[in-house]
Amino acid sequence: MTGKSLDIPARPYTGEKARLSRAYDYLILVLALFLFIGSFHLHVALTVGDWDFWQDWKDRQWWPLITPLMMITFPAAVQAVLWPNFRLPLGATLCISCLLIGTWITRFFAYHMWNFFPINEVLPATMLPSALVLDAILMLSNSLTVTSIFGGMVFALLFYPTNWPIFGMFHVPVEYGGAQLTVADLFGFQYIRAGTPEYLRIIERGTLRTYGQYATPLSAFCSALLCTLMYPLWWYLGKAFATTKYVKNI
Amino acid sequence: MSTTAQTISQSTPRAPFNLPWYLRDLPKYLLTFAVMTVIYVGFRMYQGAYAISTGLDSSDPAFDIHWMRLLYLEGAFLLIVFPMLWGYLWFTRDRNLDKITPKEEITRYFTLTMWISIYTFAVYWAGSYFAEQDNSWHQVSVRDTPFTANHIIEFYFNFPFYILMGGSAWLYARTRLPLYANGISLPLTLAVVGPFMIFVSVGFNEWGHTFWFREEFFAAPIHWGFVTGVWFALGVGGILLQQVMRLVQLLDQIEDAA
Amino acid sequence: MKMSLKTLFSAACLGLCAGALAPEAALAHGEKALEPFVRMRTIQWYDVAWSKAKLNVNEEVVITGKFHVNADWPRGVAQPDATYLNVSAPGPVFIRTERYLNGQSSVSSSALKLGGDYEFKIVMKARIPGRFHLHPFVNLHDAGSVVGPGQWMEVEGDASAFTNQIKTLDGSVIDMETYGLANGVAWHGFWIALGSAWLLWWVRRPLFIPRYKMLHAGQDASLISPLDRKIGAAIIFAVPMIVFGANFVTDLKYPNAIPLQAAMDQIDTLPPAVDVGAVQVKIQRAEYNVPARAMIMTALLHNGSDHPVRVGEFATANVRFLNPAVVQPPQDEGAALAAREGLSIDTADPIAPGETRTIRITAEDSLWQRERLDGLIRDADTRMGGLLFLYDNAGQRYVSSVSAPVIPKF
Repeated sequence: MTGKSLDIPARPYTGEKARLSRAYDYLILVLALFLFIGSFHLHVALTVGDWDFWQDWKDRQWWPLITPLMMITFPAAVQAVLWPNFRLPLGATLCISCLLIGTWITRFFAYHMWNFFPINEVLPATMLPSALVLDAILMLSNSLTVTSIFGGMVFALLFYPTNWPIFGMFHVPVEYGGAQLTVADLFGFQYIRAGTPEYLRIIERGTLRTYGQYATPLSAFCSALLCTLMYPLWWYLGKAFATTKYVKNI
Repeated sequence: MSTTAQTISQSTPRAPFNLPWYLRDLPKYLLTFAVMTVIYVGFRMYQGAYAISTGLDSSDPAFDIHWMRLLYLEGAFLLIVFPMLWGYLWFTRDRNLDKITPKEEITRYFTLTMWISIYTFAVYWAGSYFAEQDNSWHQVSVRDTPFTANHIIEFYFNFPFYILMGGSAWLYARTRLPLYANGISLPLTLAVVGPFMIFVSVGFNEWGHTFWFREEFFAAPIHWGFVTGVWFALGVGGILLQQVMRLVQLLDQIEDAA
Repeated sequence: MKMSLKTLFSAACLGLCAGALAPEAALAHGEKALEPFVRMRTIQWYDVAWSKAKLNVNEEVVITGKFHVNADWPRGVAQPDATYLNVSAPGPVFIRTERYLNGQSSVSSSALKLGGDYEFKIVMKARIPGRFHLHPFVNLHDAGSVVGPGQWMEVEGDASAFTNQIKTLDGSVIDMETYGLANGVAWHGFWIALGSAWLLWWVRRPLFIPRYKMLHAGQDASLISPLDRKIGAAIIFAVPMIVFGANFVTDLKYPNAIPLQAAMDQIDTLPPAVDVGAVQVKIQRAEYNVPARAMIMTALLHNGSDHPVRVGEFATANVRFLNPAVVQPPQDEGAALAAREGLSIDTADPIAPGETRTIRITAEDSLWQRERLDGLIRDADTRMGGLLFLYDNAGQRYVSSVSAPVIPKF
């Protein structure tokens, strides 16, 4: 990595104008940080939150299906603004990073500090690897079609293997109360919670057996297909929201 | 942040603390951040101090003292501050926008960005921290009132407060920037009105929880009103583009300095 | 102006904090908000007892009790096909180590049978020091929480001393409090570091105004450098390699990992404990006298036993109306919700063996109002329900689940 290769591309401004535009960058970055923590986190919490909150919701069927599908939304919409207009390939990584900041703050200060849940019961999942690859594919392809198909697929397919090293150990079986449970199930039983009883869980309850018990890949590929469709949908949604129109009446 | 009057429209902007002229309102911006942080952290500390001891049962007299009283105080505060702030922004509007200098307009774009930044900071507390904390608290309390110890903060302070800030940003742009005064910015309006509808969705949420969904299932359809509302925050992308396009034009109109 | 208002508000908040009364004991857990007909005619709790009220961190308390699932189930409440016997507490200040329904160990949800009788036992281990009010309760899917009698628990000791060690089926012993935390934090830290590096790689350079200007000047090719492309290619190659590599290693490390367990527990009902035996009760009319705060029930009783019986108690929604001539409650259980002289019968004579008699039972106390049960008469479903306890002179108890429409008397 030579000094020359690290050179930042040509700048249209120098002097005060450069400083001004840089100050504007910082203002926008602060704005964007809180915007995406606030908005994307709310979107995720209220669409796939339960799977992300609790160990005993992280199943093989619904968690890897729904999580990428709901988490590719804002990244696609933000990429639709930052890439075509600024050639900034960081929309997905920015959104997922903001989400994780918001998530970790809440898990620690709300669930743990206030309401006594152990942090390991409420460990969030991560989609940062998926986001990095999505950004990189967009940058290299400069193509909505390629990013939708390959980026969308990879975004979903990487989800479960990314998180299995974090959550796999919670699926070790234990004998408890005369039944076989996972450590994750045991959290749900032992650490009492009033509002989310066991029966409320939307988790794999069986019958993905046609192909020899490979529930996870089936869910992941289904999610991959849906993400290839969700990505352009949200790309265009992002573009639509980022209209520059001024109107006479609202 | 809101110090704007017609007298300065034609003058060269000046900034305090030897700041560059375009960062005239930076101190107020940072101070607002600090004050808001104190308020929100204060709320969280208040919850930590009183929620478990007095906030678990809405029929408890202590609940009235510690929580309903707080709700009324919030309501009183908002009733005062909404008309005052919005009225101030409206009545101090610039009536000579056609005579504004490029530097002044640039400065106001910076100030508008600060307003929107403050708005998104309020959105953070409402959409991220206190929103997810709702799920946590409703594992502790049996949900027996629409005014739970977290709802009183989240729904009845945080939501109105970001509406206040979003509306202020909208009004600031409409009253102090020529392009926004000549036409109503669609993305800015979307970014303010959409999240406003989140507040309205509280009604749907409480109705659903009261009549057919008693548990705390966050991904339940009764919460999707909040979700669709927050999508409109993506309108900020359009505001960014509107600003950048105009700033490019304005920068071409001023002399560069070393 | 805005700032000064905010400052004013902050001061007001602080004033509120400072001026607030010292927190008082929260005796309830929100159960009063649930419609009376749900509390009275779904899960009917009785004989709830606690093994102790003071304990140290790591010590256990046992909650035992019974409930009858009312056959006159409210039409507006979903059938109890999915329920969960829970404990209401301010978060996991205790952990639940064991739970039994009708003597069967139960770790999952279960269906309840209408008219069924259930005995439960829950073992709780103290985790956080403090004074907490605990209730057993049943989560009814889509219907809410039907809360049982509560009890104060005083926990002493040090929270950091709490341990929760579990032996897994592969033989290792884990501490649930910390298990997997360091590993999870490390993985998150690793990915956050990579993500942050990518973000910093871009935001270190001039961003919005210059890049927009250059893009529209046709100079977009210079905005992405060859090094950027190389890094992008490296990401596309290396990130999946790391992901699938780590996934592979995890699979090797935990070969016996299983999916989340989703089965429901099948709980056999006990031999009936309510509405059995030789004594039968039928409520013919129930009136609620609003000013007197009294439920007056006209009941047809048939005593088919060999001993005379008397009505000793009417229990509904955790409130116990007691006939002082017949029975007194244990001193340590739900005393706050017991009306010790709240039940009266229009005749002092017991029902003789073989006799069928119509009697008037009056359950009168301010608890109807304090527990917000008097709201029943303004509900969409104004049928009441409860358990009637009858005793013979040999100490035999007969329990009858009763229900009837309620007529208010204003």
